[in-house]
Amino acid sequence: MRSFKQIMTSSIVKKQVMGVTGLLLCGFLITHLAGNCLIYLGPDVFNTYAHTLVTNPLLYPAEAVLALLFLSHIALAARLTIENNKARPVKYYMKSPTGRGATFASSTMPYTGIITLVFLILHLLNFKFGTIYTTQVGGVEMRDIYKTVIEHFKSPLNILWYIFAMLSLGIHVSHGFWSAFQSLGFNHPKYNCTLKCVSKLYALLITVGYSALPIYCYFQGVK
Amino acid sequence: MGNNTQSMNISLKVWRQKDRLDKGHMEDYKMDNVSPDMSFLELIDVLNERLVREGKDPIAFDHDCREGICGMCSLMINGQAHGPEALTTTCQLHMRKFKNGDTIVVEPFRARAFPVLKDLMVDRSAFDEIIAAGGYVNVSTGNPQDANALPISKENADLSMDAAACVGCAACVASCKNASAMLFVSAKVSQLALLPQGAVEADERVQSMVEKMDELGFGNCTNERECEASCPKGIDISNIARMNRDFLKSSISAKK
Amino acid sequence: MTIKKLNGNVPEGAIHEKWEKHKFNMKLVNPANKRKFNVIVVGTGLAGASAAASLAELGYNVQSFCIQDSPRRAHSIAAQGGINAAKNYPNDGDSPWRLFYDTVKGGDYRAREANVYRLAEVANNIIDQCVAQGVPFARDYGGYLSNRSFGGAQVSRTFYARGQTGQQLLLGAYSAMMKEVNKGKIKLYARREMLDLVLVNNKARGIITRNVVTGEIERYAADAVLLCTGGYGNVYFLSTNAMASNCSAAWRAHKRGAYFANPCYTQIHPTCIPVHGDHQSKLTLMSESLRNDGRVWVPKDKDDKRAPNEIPEDDRDYYLERKYPSFGNLVPRDVASRNAKQAVDDGKGVGPTSVAVYLDFRDAIKRDGKDTIAAKYGNLFDMYERITDDDPYQVPMRIYPAVHYTMGGLWVDYNLQSNIPGLFVLGEANFSDHGANRLGASALMQGLADGYFVAPYTLGNYFVTDKPEQEKVTIDSPEFEKAHKESREKLDKLLSINGSKTTDDFHRELGQIMWEYVGMARNEEGLKKGISEIKALREQFWKDLKVTGDNNNINTELEKANRVADFLELGELMARDALERRESCGGHFRDESQTEENEALRDDENFSHVAAWEFQGVDAEPLRHIEELQFENVALTQRSYK
Repeated sequence: MRSFKQIMTSSIVKKQVMGVTGLLLCGFLITHLAGNCLIYLGPDVFNTYAHTLVTNPLLYPAEAVLALLFLSHIALAARLTIENNKARPVKYYMKSPTGRGATFASSTMPYTGIITLVFLILHLLNFKFGTIYTTQVGGVEMRDIYKTVIEHFKSPLNILWYIFAMLSLGIHVSHGFWSAFQSLGFNHPKYNCTLKCVSKLYALLITVGYSALPIYCYFQGVK
Repeated sequence: MGNNTQSMNISLKVWRQKDRLDKGHMEDYKMDNVSPDMSFLELIDVLNERLVREGKDPIAFDHDCREGICGMCSLMINGQAHGPEALTTTCQLHMRKFKNGDTIVVEPFRARAFPVLKDLMVDRSAFDEIIAAGGYVNVSTGNPQDANALPISKENADLSMDAAACVGCAACVASCKNASAMLFVSAKVSQLALLPQGAVEADERVQSMVEKMDELGFGNCTNERECEASCPKGIDISNIARMNRDFLKSSISAKK
Repeated sequence: MTIKKLNGNVPEGAIHEKWEKHKFNMKLVNPANKRKFNVIVVGTGLAGASAAASLAELGYNVQSFCIQDSPRRAHSIAAQGGINAAKNYPNDGDSPWRLFYDTVKGGDYRAREANVYRLAEVANNIIDQCVAQGVPFARDYGGYLSNRSFGGAQVSRTFYARGQTGQQLLLGAYSAMMKEVNKGKIKLYARREMLDLVLVNNKARGIITRNVVTGEIERYAADAVLLCTGGYGNVYFLSTNAMASNCSAAWRAHKRGAYFANPCYTQIHPTCIPVHGDHQSKLTLMSESLRNDGRVWVPKDKDDKRAPNEIPEDDRDYYLERKYPSFGNLVPRDVASRNAKQAVDDGKGVGPTSVAVYLDFRDAIKRDGKDTIAAKYGNLFDMYERITDDDPYQVPMRIYPAVHYTMGGLWVDYNLQSNIPGLFVLGEANFSDHGANRLGASALMQGLADGYFVAPYTLGNYFVTDKPEQEKVTIDSPEFEKAHKESREKLDKLLSINGSKTTDDFHRELGQIMWEYVGMARNEEGLKKGISEIKALREQFWKDLKVTGDNNNINTELEKANRVADFLELGELMARDALERRESCGGHFRDESQTEENEALRDDENFSHVAAWEFQGVDAEPLRHIEELQFENVALTQRSYK
């Protein structure tokens, strides 16, 4: 019998864990985007939403799970990349893609992943641990996260970086979403096309959905 | 044949490495009057005869059947396993696919699991080790039941044959940026899992073969599909998905 | 130095009882004792891999050697069309007896009846065994095995796996073998070339090999040696054999005393892609199964240079259908080849070189649709297009015969044992089952029959009767010492000549002599000329050869030179055998011996025998021993496929 450790460290299960954590993170991206979209309904709604979220006692376990997902996804990615690099110690003098397999998205996964990681750290610093303003909504004292966001996106540089990062995230998930299914063993000629389309639509939704936010905030800020 | 009679001039950049320990380097050769009907290996044959006449060491490369079935020929040609043509082994690649004046870069297949023995010749015995770990049905020679006793749906027999068409050339490993052997291993796992004869040991087989594959130092699959694209026999990655599925299933359902 | 009458050790009794009774009469090795015996198996093709696997399963310790980097590369892998067995699944009147009859007749009555019957008998088991191993044979919609028909038979008895039957069967045998490698019962030695056979007290007790990676010369001892090293078609330089296919293992055994039987029986396969240039390194076969649907033709008029599709029906000569109405395009290989040669000799050859005939699928595509034809032959059509740049769905294929298989080989008795005790020869390397011509889809059958179902029985009998293990032999014995030294000296000699011509120069020249004088049609004058030319070439070889590099590394030139040295000796023996056999039979056609209709004319009175040659020295005349062939079950007739 193979031990739990043996199975977990096999190349296939490592990939499957990548896939599962990736898909769960994809779920997070959607809910996060939905929450963020409340910004379109004005500061009070947005701030109340944020306040409800941070005062919920379930936040810490939820954040812990999220952190675990991120960390395992990142740590495994790092490990896989190092292992993969070791699997070919002498590199080719010339290596060209066939043009029939790899895509831009698939061949840049580690890079788009790193960009996303950098973005994530900055994102937390800018917002979660960013400047704290307070406000009152309906008599309740709460953080004015709306203001933090609007202030941040007054700078076009910040907007550009945000959109760049979202583009890179979109590219990352356009391969990752489909790839997770393949790693988990889902590949069927009947549904492959649909799955690839869903993968691309999802990536488009993420990129466009998130990129729209800073642009909206910019115009709110200049008003 | 003979449809294209214009002879060509070709420059070659070939990896030369004296033995396993040598560092190796690229060397340039000029070839004049190359017939477009020549196969790529015949081009190297001609070059080698010239080298021998000049008293130089000819280029060592693996090849045997020259019909695209034994899987012995290899070579990275212009950065692609078996060259630019889809569904083609190097021995079936003809010079008419190149242009007069082209420079062609020729390198060995590279992976940690495949050490270079000399020049373009690599040791691919790692594949044999993977097969030995479980790529078979445990049946001894003797008196099995009649071949027609167990009908097999044509669909499964055909899918099994699709996977069984693998020639073990290792183009999948060579073209994968991670030097992963998933396509090779999954082709054998799939071929046998699809047949009732092989299904009996399917769980144990997928576990042992994957374990051996990992142990030998191949990389991990990142679903880039370069393996499928460079496979001269068109083995597709649905086999990898099947293996992923079977591996997961067998990991969860192991009875002891 | 007398001519011997060889005894094939065929068991007594009616033909259908011989093998059954023989199996019972043969002595068995106790299961616990089997592990005390060591067996060397050289070659990992169908015969070698199946034998190694089966022997290891029984409990013997097997050492398996192959020249390629992996046992899976052996040239059996290139067989396309299929494997015969008389399962009679299609209900078309087949039976082992009919398979036996067809094979003896197809071989032009020059095979040993008892061997052929045994082959037909065990063929059904082979299919069962392969299916059990997971060989994905073609199946019909009900899930049952599908059959196709092949040349020389009027029933559908050929099992196939697309156009890759040899590959699938070999991978089946290879996997069976790797299963035993995993258990430690087979020790695998890849990238080894056999240099010599070692005899101790006149028994085969080991081999000398060269590790082609390190150049090291190695010695291996055992209680028996099985040669499964394939045929010698590469003596013609251009053939459908793989580049590394060679005669050296068999030839070195011959030089140590093993008789070489019927070396002149070579099969020229009718459907190969024609030669197109000087740089050509090998010829590619198009499966004979193509003749099921393709129609062979040439223009009626000499030098008709119109494109094939512009030649109207009335100006085409479907010569096989015309001459052989009952078998049509499915006549045996030798007949089809000779007729192609005749068409070309008559000036009706097609294509740029005028040395080809058409194989046309136009009518089949019209009848069955392109999809059906593509499903049957798709991969062959693709291969043809890749090599020739012509699309066979649009224009007819151009084909011409090429050397493909050698029916001759080391002489063996009914037990597949050569005249050297302990030396067994299996598959194409022996001479036994195909007579003067092999039918399509029979080579796979023979290789696997020998390996799975014959040698495992007869080898045990040898161990019990001859008790080789009682004489302790180690690799330090003087016999090994001597063979090692001689092998080393030969290699050193090849390296030291330092002449001006490459190995390929000599090989090409030998090939031309062989094709010209010992090819599809032979005659006394040509053969005599051939012999003297080969002798002269051999002399020149040892004076003017150039081999670069040394013996301490991979040296492919040295490997080639070492093989060509043997081909230069074998070629002469082939010509001698062809010269002495003053009759036509199967693949051996003597111009002097033909019917009025230019068919092969046998001389049963004088040549109904196997010629087994004994080596007497490189430049000495070999001895021609004889094994008389008895035909008790099949009446000798003039073969007719009309």
